[in-house]
Amino acid sequence: MVKIPTRILLVDDEVDFVEMLSMRLQEAGEKVTPAYNGEECLKLLEKQKDHIDVVILDIRMPGMDGIEVLREIKNRFPLIEVIMLTGHGTTESAVEGMKLGAFDYLLKPADFDELAQKLEGARERKDEQEARIRKAESRLLVRRTGGA
Amino acid sequence: MEEMIRILLVDDEDSFRGTVSKRLSRRSIDVLTAADGREALELLDRDPVEVVVTDVKMPGMDGIELLRQIKENYPDIEVILLTGHVAASDGVEGIKGGAFDYLTKPVELEHLVSKIRQAGEKIRWRRDQRKEAEFRKRMEQQMMITERLAALGTMATGVAHEINNPLAIIRESAGWMRLILGKEEMAAVPRRSDLELALNKIEIGVERAKRITHQLLGFVQKDDALSAEVDLPMLIEESLGMVKREAVHKGIEIVRDIQPLEKPVYSDPYQIRQVLLNLITNAVHATGGGGRITVVLKSVQGGVLIQIRDTGEGIPPEHMRKIFEPFFTTKCPGKGTGLGLFVTRGIIDRLGGTIEAESRPGEGSVFTVTLPRRHEIRKNDIASELNTC
Repeated sequence: MVKIPTRILLVDDEVDFVEMLSMRLQEAGEKVTPAYNGEECLKLLEKQKDHIDVVILDIRMPGMDGIEVLREIKNRFPLIEVIMLTGHGTTESAVEGMKLGAFDYLLKPADFDELAQKLEGARERKDEQEARIRKAESRLLVRRTGGA
Repeated sequence: MEEMIRILLVDDEDSFRGTVSKRLSRRSIDVLTAADGREALELLDRDPVEVVVTDVKMPGMDGIELLRQIKENYPDIEVILLTGHVAASDGVEGIKGGAFDYLTKPVELEHLVSKIRQAGEKIRWRRDQRKEAEFRKRMEQQMMITERLAALGTMATGVAHEINNPLAIIRESAGWMRLILGKEEMAAVPRRSDLELALNKIEIGVERAKRITHQLLGFVQKDDALSAEVDLPMLIEESLGMVKREAVHKGIEIVRDIQPLEKPVYSDPYQIRQVLLNLITNAVHATGGGGRITVVLKSVQGGVLIQIRDTGEGIPPEHMRKIFEPFFTTKCPGKGTGLGLFVTRGIIDRLGGTIEAESRPGEGSVFTVTLPRRHEIRKNDIASELNTC
């Protein structure tokens, strides 16, 4: 069975990290778009919102931090799932992220297999959400056309 | 009622000793007697007193010499000299030698009683002063340690964060290389096993560094931790269960002294489990074959006391001050991170508790943790309660 790639937006100010993780994820069959700060992430999502499934988001970044970016994502693109990645000392912000609707969080340096599992989980949740919406929309459509 | 005071009356005149001791005994004064200086010193060796009342003129060792020896060997004892009328100069010499005071014979009993009481007061005052100074010193040391640990903690966790990012890069790069090496086109790459060995070492190194940084991050985890009713006996059992295999393997006996708690404890069970596991694991590591680990749980006012006692190798006094510092370890490199007790202490501080360690090299160590029944109860309240236990 051909694997359908998860479309990932990888956001981290650590250029080397983004480069290496992107290569690994792509090698594992995923499709990765890199971004190096929060503003760039939101701009990219604005343009490609229908082509991104999951955002891997670093919490501590210069400029807009991960939590602010997450809040924006969940406001503007609620279907896109977010996995928080933190090298930060406390899990406090990660937990805050979960409350804001992030799918999960990982502490750096994260285990690749664990990340892969979480990506799969996030992707499944997004697919389910979309399927549910489609179903609801078609029901609505049937009702409308039925009533016409 | 007047406080009982214990004295030694030294005089070579039997009748004087007899009469005075009998009359002093009626005034809440516990009197031992000796007929000369030598006997007095022998008695003091066996039976401590607070005040010595001694005649100056005695055959053999005189009162002044006795005073000198008492001051040399028992500096806390106060000495009152009894001199004859014509020998006031002896009294003066005695004062110079450290006597509390001197009285001229014939002694008026009330006067003697009052002098003995004053000497007793002085001793008690000195004892209180010393206790207070010791307490103050201990508090200052405690504060210094706390401040030092806080500073170290801030720095160490800052460093941990900075290290996690490069660690993540190293891990991803190593993972990438492993992936490439696994490709068909790389099957014939020369010295493949050397490359794989090096990759293994990189991955093990990253894992080791990660263990350190993540443990450090545990130290500063948020303090709005969970607060739920904690089943301490169950947590203790769980933690013991996790080290059971090693304990059985080493032939260590586990003794439980778990008393039913008077009131429930509300705290963070996950963090308490980590504390228990750290302390019990340390005890197992420190205890040799045939040793014993005792876990005590009991109620104290305002909270609970958990004690982990082992009959292990103990901690040398020069290490005691450092055991709660980050990265202090006596284990081999790679075996212990030196963060267990540091993190444990951090957790207990956040939960509003206290932790104290006592140890005798060769005999074992005792770690005593107190936790408040609820977070709001100040740890000082429990600490002061403990002192009275």
